Amino acid sequence: MKFVSLALKNLLRNRLRTLLTVFGVAAGMFLFASVETMQYSLSTATRARADETTLVVYRENRFCPATSRLPEHYGPVIKEIEGVREVIPIQIAVNNCGASLDVITFRGVPAETLQDYNPELKTIEGSYADFTKRSDAALIGQHFARKRGLNPGDSFEAVGINVSVAGIIASDSPQDNNVAYVHLDFLQQASRVGLGVVTQFNVKVESADQLDAVADQIDETFRADQQPTHTRPENAFFAETAKQMIELISFTRLLGIGAVAAVLGLVANALLLIVQGRTRETAIFQTIGFSRYRISQLVISEGLLIGLFGGALGVGSALFFFHWNAFTLGNEGLTIALSPSQAVLLKGIAISLALGLLASLYPAWKATSKPLTQVLNS
Amino acid sequence: MSDSPFIKIEQVSKSFQKGKATITPLENLSLEVPRGEFLALMGPSGSGKTTLLNLVAGIDSPTSGSLWVGERELTTLKRGQLTKWRASHVGYIFQLYHLVPILSAYENIELPLLLTSLSKRDRRTRIEAALDLVGLSNRATHRPTELSGGQEQRVAIARAIVHDPELLVADEPTGDLDRESADSILQLLSRLSKEHGKTIVMVTHDPRAAEAADRTLHLEKGKLTR
Ligand SMILES: Nc1ncnc2c1ncn2[C@@H]1O[C@H](COP(=O)(O)OP(=O)(O)OP(=O)(O)O)[C@@H](O)[C@H]1O
Ligand SMILES: [Mg+2]
Repeated sequence: MKFVSLALKNLLRNRLRTLLTVFGVAAGMFLFASVETMQYSLSTATRARADETTLVVYRENRFCPATSRLPEHYGPVIKEIEGVREVIPIQIAVNNCGASLDVITFRGVPAETLQDYNPELKTIEGSYADFTKRSDAALIGQHFARKRGLNPGDSFEAVGINVSVAGIIASDSPQDNNVAYVHLDFLQQASRVGLGVVTQFNVKVESADQLDAVADQIDETFRADQQPTHTRPENAFFAETAKQMIELISFTRLLGIGAVAAVLGLVANALLLIVQGRTRETAIFQTIGFSRYRISQLVISEGLLIGLFGGALGVGSALFFFHWNAFTLGNEGLTIALSPSQAVLLKGIAISLALGLLASLYPAWKATSKPLTQVLNS
Repeated sequence: MSDSPFIKIEQVSKSFQKGKATITPLENLSLEVPRGEFLALMGPSGSGKTTLLNLVAGIDSPTSGSLWVGERELTTLKRGQLTKWRASHVGYIFQLYHLVPILSAYENIELPLLLTSLSKRDRRTRIEAALDLVGLSNRATHRPTELSGGQEQRVAIARAIVHDPELLVADEPTGDLDRESADSILQLLSRLSKEHGKTIVMVTHDPRAAEAADRTLHLEKGKLTR
């Protein structure tokens, strides 16, 4: 502890230089944490879960809500298949079918069945009853509401569709937090796909081990129909449908690695300068009896402190940034909420510390590499 | 035991490699210093005074010969062991004080104690005693830049004695001071040897400074003369 305070005083010696280094680290770690947030949000959305019980029935060979069209009357047929617990027809309308950071997704559902299908949906503001009563009413996800500053009673318009907010919902499923639920028939008319046509069915099965069997059974049932189906577990559907977006996000991993490398170089360079700027003082410390090991410890402590401050600042502000902006990455009508997570926070700070350590190894060795008498003599 | 010399240097040589040339500032030098003696070393520039001082202080090792300080034969110690030995046995006083600029007088004096297992309270007691001894109790919180040269050197002396080493080495401790400050530093060193039993080896160019010592030796071309 007494040595850490010495390291801290050393860092405060040249405040501007330390500040610039810390800001540099913060900038790099901001980028890193942003990339990690995207990666993390993506992997939670697409990771196959053992307890997955939701299937998505989509039109075969279609990848966009604008082109996937299925007759609404498939619903009761699916409901009869063994192992199916709930079915909900969904019409999806998006303002942007491509990849976008600012998508608005309408999900048209039968107003009465939404709550039955998805009991974990909680209305945190406004009321569910208001939603069922008014045909142009919408239940909007909490992220969606926060992002657009919407409250119950407000109206908004997107893709030529005008709705009135009846309530704000919260759900464990990230998708629900980013969409606007509206009445199915209302959306079918407003978006001109016509009554009786839906984009997909979401199906809840009795248990996770029946997932594949039920999916096969559904597709088998409509194989000979005019509109054959392709049924997958929700996460797999997500992974396949939002492929471009996933590839794009995977690519950003390189940016994260680049940011980490930049931070490493920056800290190593700063520490090397610091160490070279006080070779004589280091020699005095050694004369007093500080071992090479102690001197290295001091330098490494400085590296760790820079890593810690810069990392906390960068990662912290990145997570705040994502918290306040509530970005939703959308592609083909699917959205990923880029939400801050504790895992990213811990990982980011751990990596900052590791970088501080790594970057200080060479400077720590370099600090005492010259013979003592040579430094004292010069 | 008590009549064996505190420092015993036997046939010590020290060479440096400078490019292809070899410089040998000290050649087959022998010297004994009794415990508690205040010894002054004089000699022309480049005669090897600092080199000798560094050997005695365990900062450097001789090329050949042997060297005892106290009960320790320094020539058998490795670099790391020498560092450890210095931490408890030597106080080094430099011509240019070499205080750490960002630390207060108090914190500078504390440095050698950080290497011990002393508690914060015990460290305080020792530092206050050292400050008192050098007459700077009222300057504890001052930074080096806020002190005069003479005061800085006194802080440096406090730093050199705070961990109570038996040996003090000083390389031209008054070389950068006006006469008045120099005199008070010399008085202080003299007191440390007389009253506290420190063995002191001081390099100096100033005959007046040498007068303060018990004995003066001249180093010339690597040989000691009286
Ligand atoms: N680390 C070193 N590497 C190479 N040569 C050295 C080293 N230290 C001292 N020397 C050489 O050894 C000789 C003696 O140096 P030393 O510093 O001991 O002299 P000095 O008597 O203290 O001189 P001054 O009065 O100028 O301080 C000089 O020629 C010096 O250049
Ligand atoms: Mg010298």
